[in-house]
Amino acid sequence: MIKMFEYFGAHSSQIWKLTLEHIEMTAIAVCIAVLIGVPLGILISYVRKLDKPVLGLANVVQAIPSMALLGLAIPLLGIGVLPAIVMVIIYSLLPIVKNTYTGISGIDPLMVEAANGIGLTPRQVLTKVKIPMALPVIMAGVRISAVTAVGLMTMAAFIGAGGLGYLVFAGIRTTNNYQILAGAIPACILALLVDFLMGLVEKLVTPISLQKSGGLSRKQMKRKRRREKLTLGTAVVLICAIIVGGAVNSRLAGREKEITVGGKDFTEQLILVNLYSDYIEAHTDIHCVRKENLGGSQVCYQALKKGDIDMYVDYTGTLYGSVLKHDGTDDMEGVYNTCVKEMKKKNISLTQQCAFNNTYTLAVSKQIAKKYNLETIRDLVRKSSQLHLGCTLEFQNRHDCIDALKKAYPSLKFKKISAMDGSPRFVALDNKEVDVIDAFATDGMLMKYHLKVLKDEDHVFPPYYAVPCFNSDTLKKYPELQRVVDELAPKLTDEVMMKLNYQVDVQGKEPKDVARAFLEQENLI
Amino acid sequence: MIQLIDVTKAFKNNVVLDGISMDFRDGELTVLIGPSGCGKTTTLKMINRLIPATGGRILIDGEDIESIDKVKLRRNMGYVIQQGGLFPHMTIRQNIEIIEKLEGKDEYQILKNTERLMEMVDMDAGKFLDRYPSELSGGQQQRIGVIRALANDPDYVLLDEPFSALDPLTRSSLQDELSDLHRKMGKTMIFVTHDMDEAIKIADRICIMKDGRILQYDTPEEILRRPANDFVANFVGANRIWGSPKFIRVEDFMIRHPVTCDASLSAERCITKLTMRHVDTLLVTGKEGQLLGIVNRKSLYANHRPDKPAGEIMLPPKCTAHPEDSILDVLKMIDRTDASNVPVVDALGRVVGLLTNSNLVSTLSRQYLEDMTEEVRGND
Repeated sequence: MIKMFEYFGAHSSQIWKLTLEHIEMTAIAVCIAVLIGVPLGILISYVRKLDKPVLGLANVVQAIPSMALLGLAIPLLGIGVLPAIVMVIIYSLLPIVKNTYTGISGIDPLMVEAANGIGLTPRQVLTKVKIPMALPVIMAGVRISAVTAVGLMTMAAFIGAGGLGYLVFAGIRTTNNYQILAGAIPACILALLVDFLMGLVEKLVTPISLQKSGGLSRKQMKRKRRREKLTLGTAVVLICAIIVGGAVNSRLAGREKEITVGGKDFTEQLILVNLYSDYIEAHTDIHCVRKENLGGSQVCYQALKKGDIDMYVDYTGTLYGSVLKHDGTDDMEGVYNTCVKEMKKKNISLTQQCAFNNTYTLAVSKQIAKKYNLETIRDLVRKSSQLHLGCTLEFQNRHDCIDALKKAYPSLKFKKISAMDGSPRFVALDNKEVDVIDAFATDGMLMKYHLKVLKDEDHVFPPYYAVPCFNSDTLKKYPELQRVVDELAPKLTDEVMMKLNYQVDVQGKEPKDVARAFLEQENLI
Repeated sequence: MIQLIDVTKAFKNNVVLDGISMDFRDGELTVLIGPSGCGKTTTLKMINRLIPATGGRILIDGEDIESIDKVKLRRNMGYVIQQGGLFPHMTIRQNIEIIEKLEGKDEYQILKNTERLMEMVDMDAGKFLDRYPSELSGGQQQRIGVIRALANDPDYVLLDEPFSALDPLTRSSLQDELSDLHRKMGKTMIFVTHDMDEAIKIADRICIMKDGRILQYDTPEEILRRPANDFVANFVGANRIWGSPKFIRVEDFMIRHPVTCDASLSAERCITKLTMRHVDTLLVTGKEGQLLGIVNRKSLYANHRPDKPAGEIMLPPKCTAHPEDSILDVLKMIDRTDASNVPVVDALGRVVGLLTNSNLVSTLSRQYLEDMTEEVRGND
C-alpha cells in the first residue's frame, strides 16, 4: 500500500498528464457522439422506417470487441488520438441514439397534438416541446455513454493515443501492479466523477415540475438547483480549459522539427523507443515524440506506412516472415538484404541492423528441463506430447513461429497450447500451469525466473536482429538521421539488451530511466 | 363563418364522415355531440387541419382552408383538449404566452393580456403564473387551457371534450365560466362533447351526429322539444327536458279543445254539459271564441234560476296563460293567484286550451314515473 502511494507520488506528473489527456479525448468523443447521436435519434423518431435498421446497426457495432474495432481502424485512420476518439464515438452512439429515439417517440401524443393544434410549426414542436420533454431521457443516454467512454478510452493506449490506459498497458507488460493501479484508479475516479456530473445535468434538464421533490419545498429545490448549476458550470469550464489547453499545447509543439518514434508493447521496445529518441535528440536538433505501447508489429507497421509514426524498431525475422511472408531461413545477411529491398517498395527504409538478435526461443523451467532432460528444441519435440505450451498470440498465429516449428519437426504435438498475453505466461510457467513458453532471446524475464532456454540447432526461427525502420519520406526530410541511427546500432548487443530488459522487468526500473542511464554510462550522450 | 361542404373522411376502407355539410355561425357556440365513433372529433380536427379531409371542402369566410397556411390557420383558431394539453415543462405563463411570443407581440401587451385573461377566469395571476401545470388542480389546468386558446385573440376556438376528465362540480362551474367567456368575448366556438347536459347548458346550437352523418342540427330547445327521430329522442333522453324546464311550454301539455259554452247557454244546460263531459269547469266564450269568463259546478248550483244564462253567472278567470309560456311561469302564477284552472289564450284572447290542477300534476309526475319505468327496464 505504502509502495503504491510512493509510486503515485513519484509519477504524479505523468499520471496527471495522462489523466488530462484522458479527459480531453473522452470529452471530445462524447461531444461528437452527442452531435451525431441526438440528431440521428430524432431523425429515426420521425422517419419510422429507419428506426429498426439504425438501432440494429448500432447494436451490432456495439457488439464488436473494441480491440477488433481498433485493429480495423488502423489501416483507415492510422494510430493515435483520431482512431481512439472515433472508436469511442462509435461505441457511445447506441445509448444516445436509443434514448433520444425512446424519449422523443415516448412523448404523449396528446401533447404533440396540442402543440400542433395551437399552431406551432413542426420545427417549433420539436425544439419547444419534444426535445425539452425528452431531454431527461436523452441525458440519461448521454450519461451512460459518457461513463462507458471513460472506461473504453483506456483502450486508446493500445494505438498510442495515450490516456490512462497507457499506464494499465505498460503495467501489464512490465508486470508492475502499481503502474496498473496508477492507471486504473484515476480511471475509476474519473468514471464516478463523470457519472456524478452527468447525473447533475440530467437533473437540471428535468423541469422542476417533473422532479420528485423528496420532501423539499419549492424554495429549497430552487436553491439546490442553483448549487447544482454552479458545480456543473465549474466542471464544464475546467473541461473546456483542458481541451483548449491541450490544443494550444500541441499546436506549439507542432512547430518544432519533430519526428514520432513508435514502439511495440513490450519491455525491450519501450527501452528502444527511449534509447533512440534520447540519442537522436542528443545528436540532432530534432525533437522526438515517443509513442510507446503501440500493440504488435501490425499496428506499428501500419502506423509507419500511414506516416503516423516516423520510425520504430522492428526485427528482421518479423519483417521477413510476418510482413513479407517469406519462409524461414538462417541466412542473417540474406534476410536483411531481402527486407531492405522489399520494404523499400513499401516506402519504408531500413537502416543498419543492431548487434542483438532477439529471436524467438522456447524456454522451460530448470525442473522441467531436468525432469525431461531437455537441452535443445529437438529434445523438446520428442517429449512434446507431455508438455503444455503457453505462448503469445503472436507466436501462435505467426507464420514463422509455431508453423515453422511444425514444418521443421512434423512429429511435434503439444499436449495443449494456451495462448495468452506477453507477461502472464512467465507467471503461468512459474505457477506450473504451463510447461513451455515462447520467449525472446533478450528477455529480462528469462533472467528473473531463471529459465532454461532451449537451443535452436536447426535454425528453425529466422534471425531477429533489431533494425530501425523509417518512413522513407522522413529520411528524405531529415537525412542526418541515417548517420545518427547507424552509430547506435553496433552498441546494442545481446548482453546490453538482456541487461537493460532485466533492469526494467526484474528490478522494476522505468524504461526511460534505464535507457538514459545506459546512454550516459557509455558516454553516448 | 366556417362552412363544411359535403365533407367526407375515410381511414382506408372505414368511412368516418359520410358527406356532411353544415355552417358554424359567427359568434355562436356550437356543440358537436354523438356516441363515440360518430365522427364529431374528426370533424373538429379537420377544421384546424390536424386531420386532412378525404373529400369535400371546408371554407372559412369563403376561403378554402387547404389554401391557408396551416400554422396561420391554427394561430387564428384556439385549441383546447382534454386536461388542457398544457406543456408540463413550461410555467403557466409560458404556456399561455407561447403563441404570442412566437408571433413577436409586444412584451408589455402580452403581460397585460395574460393578466386580463387570468382575471376573466378568476385566477390570481401573481400566485399562479410562475407555477408549473402539475402544481394546479385539474379544473385550474383546464381554465389555463381555455385562456391559452384565447390568448392570441383568435376568431375561432375549438374545444375537444375539454371538461370530460373533471369532477361534476368543477365541470359545472367551468361550463358556466365558458358560457360567460363566450358571451363576453363573442368568439365563434366549436365544442365537442358526449355529455348532453353539457351541450344543452352551453350551446347556442347543437349538432347531433351518428355514424358520420348529421341527425339533427338545431337549437337546444328544438332538439329537446322536437327530436328529429327516435335515435335523437333516445339519445337526448325523454326526461332531459326536465333538466331545462324553461323549455317546457304550456302548449306542450295543456288540454287542447277544452269544453266551452256560449254566454247565452242556460244554467240548467250548463250543468247537463258538465255532467255529460265529465268536467268541473266550462269556459265561457264569445262569438270569435274569445274568453269571457268561467262557470263551474259550484257557481251553477248556487244559482237557483235554471234559465239564467251563463254570461250572467260566470266569474272572470283568476289568471290566463299563453301557449308559449313555460311551465315555470304557470307554476309561479298559480302559486300567486291560487287558481285551480288556468285558461290558455292566444294573442287575440281566444281560447286555445286549459290547464287544470290534475293536468299539471300528471305532467309534473311524468318525469318520476318515466324514471321508474327506465329503472325497471335497467334491472332486466
